[in-house]
Parts: sequence; C-alpha cells; structure tokens
Amino acid sequence: MNRIVVEGATKRFGSGALTVFDGLELAIHDSETLCILGPSGCGKTTLLRCMHGLAHLDGGRIVIDDLEVRAPRRNVAMVFQHFGLMPWKRVSENVAYGVELAGLERQTIDQRVLRYTEMVGLTGFERSYPYQLSGGMQQRAGLARALALEPDILLMDEPFGSLDAQTREILQDELLRILQTPGVRGGGAPSTVVFITHSIEEAIALGDRIVVLTARPARVRDTILVDIPRPRTVASVVAHPRFVELRDHCWRLLRERLVA
Amino acid sequence: MTVPRVGEVNARARPIAPARRWWRARPSDAMIRVASVLVVLGIWELFGPLLNPIILRPPSQIVRAFADLIANGELGVAMVQSMRVFGAGLAIALAAGITLGIVSGRSRVIYNVLDPWISALYSVPSVALVPLIAVAFQYSGDAPRVATVVLFAIFPILINTQQGVRNVDPGLLEVARAFNTSERRLWGDVIVPAAMPFILAGIRLAIGRALIGMIIAEFLVGLAGLGYLIIVYQNTFRIDKMFVPVIVVAAFGIALMGLVQFVESRVAPWTRREQ
Repeated sequence: MNRIVVEGATKRFGSGALTVFDGLELAIHDSETLCILGPSGCGKTTLLRCMHGLAHLDGGRIVIDDLEVRAPRRNVAMVFQHFGLMPWKRVSENVAYGVELAGLERQTIDQRVLRYTEMVGLTGFERSYPYQLSGGMQQRAGLARALALEPDILLMDEPFGSLDAQTREILQDELLRILQTPGVRGGGAPSTVVFITHSIEEAIALGDRIVVLTARPARVRDTILVDIPRPRTVASVVAHPRFVELRDHCWRLLRERLVA
Repeated sequence: MTVPRVGEVNARARPIAPARRWWRARPSDAMIRVASVLVVLGIWELFGPLLNPIILRPPSQIVRAFADLIANGELGVAMVQSMRVFGAGLAIALAAGITLGIVSGRSRVIYNVLDPWISALYSVPSVALVPLIAVAFQYSGDAPRVATVVLFAIFPILINTQQGVRNVDPGLLEVARAFNTSERRLWGDVIVPAAMPFILAGIRLAIGRALIGMIIAEFLVGLAGLGYLIIVYQNTFRIDKMFVPVIVVAAFGIALMGLVQFVESRVAPWTRREQ
C-alpha cells in the first residue's frame, strides 16, 4: 500500500529560471524505509520540504494517506540536517517542543520526553543546553524531538550529513536499532521513513528501497530493492555479500550521470 | 635517555619550589589596577595643588566636598531630580524602541515607513536637536529633559531589536513551522529568545547614551539635577564640589552596566559558548 505518492511534481526557483525537478513520480510504501539518493544540489531537500508542506510545488501534487499535502501534519515529523535545536532550550525542552505544540497533556509530554530521551541515549543530559553537546548528541536530541510525536511518517533530511564518520556510523546503528525495536515500528510510530542522503553506504544500510535521482532537473534514475535481511547493523550490512554489488550498482548510476 | 656526565648538575637534584623573593612574585591583574589608581591619586594629592591650586584640588578635599553635599541635602535633591528624568526617559525609550524594533523587524512595510526617519535622526548628532526640544517643550518641567533622554537612548535599542528580529535563524523558523507552531508560540519560542542578546546589548548602549542625554539636557535645558550642579560649581570655581556629581554619574553608569551584564549572563547563557 502506498503511503506517500508524488505525482508529476514540478518545482522551479528564481521565477522559473531554475528547474529543480520536473514531472517527478515517486511512491513510498507503508512500513518501509525509503532512501532518496542523489548528487548534491539535485533537489532532494526541496522534495522533502514539499512532502511536509514547508515548500509548495509549481506543478503536480504530493499525496499522503489520500490527502494532498498543503501544510505540516501532526502525524508526520521531520529531522533536519542542521539539527534545528533551539539554543535557548534545554535538551528536555527541545525534545518536548513538538509534543507541546501538538497540545498534549503535561503528564503525557513528560512521559514522552522521558521515554524518547532514553531511547536516543541522552539520559543524564536533559538539563544541558545544545551548545554543551557534541554534534552527534545534538542530532540525538533532534531525533528524540521527532520521535516524541510518535509520528506515522518520519522525514529525515540528511540527518547525519554534517557529522564525522565515526559518529555517523554510531547514529546509523542507533536509528536501525530504534526503528527495529518492536513497539516502535508498526506498533504506532513511525512506520514509514523517508531518508535523504548522498551517501551510498548509508542508503544501503538504512533503506528497504533506494531511489536514485539524477542531477538537476531531478528524475528517478532507478529504484533499487535492498535485499539484505533485518534486523541489521551497519557492520552486518557491510559484511553482507550483496552490499558490494548494491554499492557498485548505485555508484554506476550516480556516475554515469555525472560524466554525461 | 641521556646519562648526565660527571660534573653536570642533575635537574632533579634542584629544590622543587625555589623560594621566591617577594619582588619576583607576579602581581595579579587586580593588584596592578589598584596600585595604578592609588599612585595617581597620591601624586595628585601631593603635587596637584602645587601646580594649580584652583583646578587640581586634592582628592581628600573632594571627599570632604562629598560629605558636605550629602550633609546639606544638595546632592540628594539633585540625584532625585536626575534619576526621575533618567528613569522616565529610559523607560519610554525602551518601551517604544523595543516595540517599534519588533514590529519593524517583522513587517517589511513598517520597516520601510520608519527606516528613513530613523536613518535621518540617527545620523544627526543628537546634541544638535536638544535646543529644538527645549523650545518645543517651552523649557518647562521635566518634559524637555525626559524627551532629550528618549532622543539619545531610543536609537540603539530600536535598531538592535530590529536587527535581532530580522536575523532570526531561518532554519529555526522552518523547524517551528515543521512542528506546526502558532504565530503566538513562534514569538515566545523563537523570535524573542533569538533577539534577546541583541535587545540586551541595545539596552546596554541605551543606558550609556541616556546618561549622556540626561547630563546634556541638564546643561542646556533645565535648572535641575546633577548636570546643573556641575555647571553651578564650575561657574563658582568650586572644582572640588564639581567633581562630586561627576563621580556620582560615573558610579551610577558603571553599576547599571554591571546589572545589565549580569542579566545578560542569566537570560542568554547560550551566547557565552566561547567561555
């Protein structure tokens, strides 16, 4: 079953001078993690912003659960590349931000903050300010803020793109663990994940499917099924015999477009 | 590892903490500052009256003048008059400056309405407008002096608030939208806290300029306050008494700056990340 459908999506910048994507078609299934892989500047982030109603299309439409996207919804949460934490809020206040805006009861908010701060491994740092945390820990807080909404759909915009290699791998493992925890995935939240990345390895490690976009104007070059069984860890994925084949395949798709 | 040759002094054999002569001890920064002030005051006390007995009254005489002016109530009256004008002027400047700064920071139209006036008034030296204010308020009561303080203090606070509101990280505004913020919550959660360091810096600048405005207004407009005391004792060549209101204004300015800095460190701890 399709959860998010992108139909003929067209987006232009600079009064039409720059076409980011033109007639893009995409379907994201229920309960899958779809990684969108593409070269820098191909409009991946813009596409994700349009999926959340933060930017508007110039043509076509995006439908989530049979309703056209016009504004951000309560059952969709987003994780940002720049973390997007409020410097003046403590970790617990940042994690609570989304659920507070959703208007939940104080008791529920406190329970959620406790639960998801623990889930992302930030217990003990509730009273810290973001500037007192490393980049990896800041993004853990950004993830907890999104998860605390217990969303059906999680939109992730290169969330680990600005982290160093080791921290990135640790957080990839954490995300795999969280999404594979019974009672989180399928048990309410978040069943469907759209993950933007320009890292082939990251896309293979996290994705059930990978959509490879071309350079601007972005089109779907290919859709790849990642047939590596779950539960996964980054190490188990890299060690899997299919990993090298999938990586070479993705790499060829990206490179042929760059050379052309 | 090298083996010490015969006759070479083994470094470890030296005492761990050689006894320091007191003149070799490194004085702390605070000691140097206190010493600097004491030395200058001492030279002034001893040699000042020899150079010019009328202008360079010794510090001990200024201290006595301080006691006199407190005892006869002159200083108290002048301080009340000055503080009343300063307080009212600064309060009006902050209220109007922050309000106008916020609305012009958020609304392009209001920004364009106000900006030519702000630019024009801010580029004229404020002192040049004081005689105009005096005439406009007919030299009567506190009003012209309050207006002068407002004129001096309003621009830094207005412009800083405006810049603070205009420079809110667009990434954070997007986060707020992504989590379905209401306009009211957007102000409390994002815009005001983001602008707060700018606003507090503006308040600090405004306090300094408000004090200047207060003294200038008392020089040029009204026959009241600490500025007026300065003029009176200048005209009567009581230089020792003239120093008293000067010192009071300086102490008041320093105390207020310290207060704002303290508030800054409490309200916006995230801006001190380098420390």
